[in-house]
Order: sequence, then C-alpha cells, then structure tokens
Amino acid sequence: MTSGPKQIERTGARWMMLASFLLAVVSFATPALSQGAAPMSQSPAAQSAANPSTQPPGENNQGGYADPMSGFNEPMFTFNLKLDDWVLRPVASGYATITPQPVRESVDRFFDNVRVIPRFANNLLQLKLAEAGGEVARFGINTTIGLVGFFDPADELFGLKKHPNDFGLTIRYYDIPTGPYLMLPFFGPSTIGDTVGLAADGAMDPISYFVPLWVAFTVATGEGAVEAVNYRSLHLNQFEEADRYAIDLYGAVQDAYLQTRDHDVKKLHEERW
Amino acid sequence: MLALTAALVVSLAPSRFLSPAWADDPMSVVKTTVNQALEVLRDNQTPLAQRQDKLRQIVSTTFDFTEMAKSALGYHWKQITPDQQQEFTKAFVAFIEDSYLSKVNDYRGQKVAFLRVTTDGPQYAEVNTDIVEPEGKDPIHLNYRLVQEGATWKIYDVTVDAISIIANYRNQFNRVMNNQGYATLISDLKSKQAALAASLANH
Repeated sequence: MTSGPKQIERTGARWMMLASFLLAVVSFATPALSQGAAPMSQSPAAQSAANPSTQPPGENNQGGYADPMSGFNEPMFTFNLKLDDWVLRPVASGYATITPQPVRESVDRFFDNVRVIPRFANNLLQLKLAEAGGEVARFGINTTIGLVGFFDPADELFGLKKHPNDFGLTIRYYDIPTGPYLMLPFFGPSTIGDTVGLAADGAMDPISYFVPLWVAFTVATGEGAVEAVNYRSLHLNQFEEADRYAIDLYGAVQDAYLQTRDHDVKKLHEERW
Repeated sequence: MLALTAALVVSLAPSRFLSPAWADDPMSVVKTTVNQALEVLRDNQTPLAQRQDKLRQIVSTTFDFTEMAKSALGYHWKQITPDQQQEFTKAFVAFIEDSYLSKVNDYRGQKVAFLRVTTDGPQYAEVNTDIVEPEGKDPIHLNYRLVQEGATWKIYDVTVDAISIIANYRNQFNRVMNNQGYATLISDLKSKQAALAASLANH
C-alpha cells in the first residue's frame, strides 16, 4: 500500500511497454513473412507433413537457416564464449566447490518458482487454463510447504508438473514468425521475437511491481547474474562437451536452439485439447 | 540336462541376436541394439579396447552411417566429387563412432526405458526411449529414427531431447561449406575425430 497513484503510474508504464512490444511484434512479423524467416518456419515436422514420401522425417532443413544478422551474431557468440571462459565458468566452478549440489539445485528451484508469473500469463495467453491454474497451485504449494520455492513438493507430493512457457513461445503458438536468429550478449541464443518475449516476460518480474523501475532493473541484473552462475555450476561440463562434438560450435548452438523452440511449441499445440 | 540346455541357449543368444534378420520391426531393432550396448557398457571386467570393438560391431549392424553422412552434408553432397564423398563418409563415420564410443566412459548405470513406436508412412519409424538418470533427475529423451531397407530397419538419425543430431551437424557443415569450403570441413572433421580418438586411447 505504498503511494497509490505512483504505483498505478508504474503499472501503466509497464503496460505501455508491453503494448509497444506487441506492436513491434506485429510490425516485424509482416516483412519477416516474406523474407529471412522462411527457412526457419520450415520446421522438420511441417515439411515432412507436406511431402512425406520424398524425404525422411526430420531430415529436411537442407539449406540451413537464414542468418541475416550473422555479422552481429558471430562476434556476440565469441563474446559470450569469452565471457564464459574468463568469468562465468571460473566463478561457477569456484561456487560449486564451496556449495553442495543439493543447495545449488534448491537455488535453481527458487528462481524457477519466482518466475511463475510469466509462465502463468503465457499459459493464459494461449488459453491453457488448466496449465495456468496448475502454475498458480504450484506457486502456492512450493512457496509455503516448499519453503519459498527451495523445494518442489507440488511435483513430488501432488504430482503437479511445471508447465514451462514464455512469451516467445506464445508468439510461435499463434504462428507469428519470430524473425531471424539473434545472438544476445549475456543471454545467449535468441530470435528477434524471443528477445521481445524476454523483455515482456522480464516486465512481469514480481520485483518490478514493488520498487521503482531502475531498482528493479539493477536487482534483475544481479538476480540474473546469480541465477546464471548457479545454473552454470549445475552444468559445468555441458559447454566443454558441446565443443568436443562440434565441428562448428556456432552452428551447433544455433540449430540446437531453433530445434528446441520448434519442438517446444509443437508440444504446446499437441497438449491443446 | 535342462540347466545345460539353458546355458547353451544363453551362451548362443548374443551371437544370434547380432544378426539383423532377427530384428524385423523398429522396436526390436532398437531394443536389441541398446540392450547389447548396455551389456558392453556395464561389463567393466573386459578391457576398454575390446569393449569398444564390440560396440563398434553392434552399432555398425544397425546404423546406416553412409546415409547419415550423405544426409548430414545436405545439398552440398552433390557438389563434391565422388572421391570427396567417399573421403567425407569415412571421416564422418569415424567421427560419429568415436563420439559414441567416448560415451562408454560416461556411463553411470543409467537404465533405458523403451516407450513407444510411431510410424511415418510405411517406410519410416521413430522409437522413443528415455535414459533414466539414477539420482531421480529428469530423464534424457533419446529417440531413434529408422528407415526400412529391404527386410531390415536401419537407424538413420538419433534425437537427444528433441534435437536431431543429423540436422544439427547439417547446419554446422552447411555453414563451414558456405564460409570456408570442403577443404576446411574435412580437415576440421578429421582433427576433431583425432582428438576424440586420442582421449579414448588415454582412458
């Protein structure tokens, strides 16, 4: 109950932000339809449905992905690798040696629990009412019995599974092209649409409801850093593994990201009814 | 007498199961291959080199490596000479085999659950399996894509958590072919494979 009008003003500003994001989505979606994004929408599933006999299922992306922003993406990818090499991995492995794995897994669950609002909102936006409700129930149970989310009794005791969802998936869910591939500094692989989604989901961070926007931003950055270090500590071998088996690491990451997003939205469609 | 017969059957079983003619549907092809591989993975009495030879033998009967190599190169396959096609296939097969073999050292007693088969037309099938992690972590979804070749089914792709391995390599190879060309691709492939082979030998 702090300063009523200011609170409303801030909420209003947030919705303005959201509205402009949505506008941005619509405006880039139209040109994207005609150009770069074409091979990306050529999901293996869609293609094999179109011509089942000519090629094996899942074997159709013969020409690779359109990557009109590769001039930006490739240096950013190198930057992220260096950042990981010099900062994230050393910090994460140091943290891993002084913090037992179960604790780090709990921290991971804590962050996951805090991110309930985007999951709830996006399930709602896709009219997945049961999943949205499930997220609310999970949040209630895990915040209370699960000690502010450090544990997941909602799944373990009540069989309530998490329903991952985000705004980038909502965009895909309604068949709006998400635009070309984009490698973000710090955040990693994305697309234009997923970046818009990242900002939209970030604007739903509960912290930003209670404090001024700049504080929320700072906190979110710190939060993001802690979350990144914690996540990295749980996946210490993952990147090294990927590099061992990759001929072109950029291409491996790009394809893995785009295939995963394609698959996630396909799953959302299959769960629809 | 009964015990003797049983012992005979058991001792004969592995060699008979190696024959692909026995495995006449996608599920049993995958089941047989995976179970044979698991047996080798669990057997830590036999020297590593021997186990790797055995694994190589198991996968070579059910994986269509030549088709995998061709598919991983996509439309560039037609742009290289027949000699290069042969050279590339050999290098890619060695690379995939060594990638697979290096997993021997990662095996931590995981169990495999065979879930279901979905077919895509009469010729194509996908077998879904889960690698169940011992500590109660999320399972890894490992799916095998098979194509019918005459009387047998051959694996032409594997997906790990919904990521098609062949499609992933195709994107990598496509980028290298477009940006640097075949010479770089083949030398990169060979040097990565050499690194894998070296780390295999060190274990």
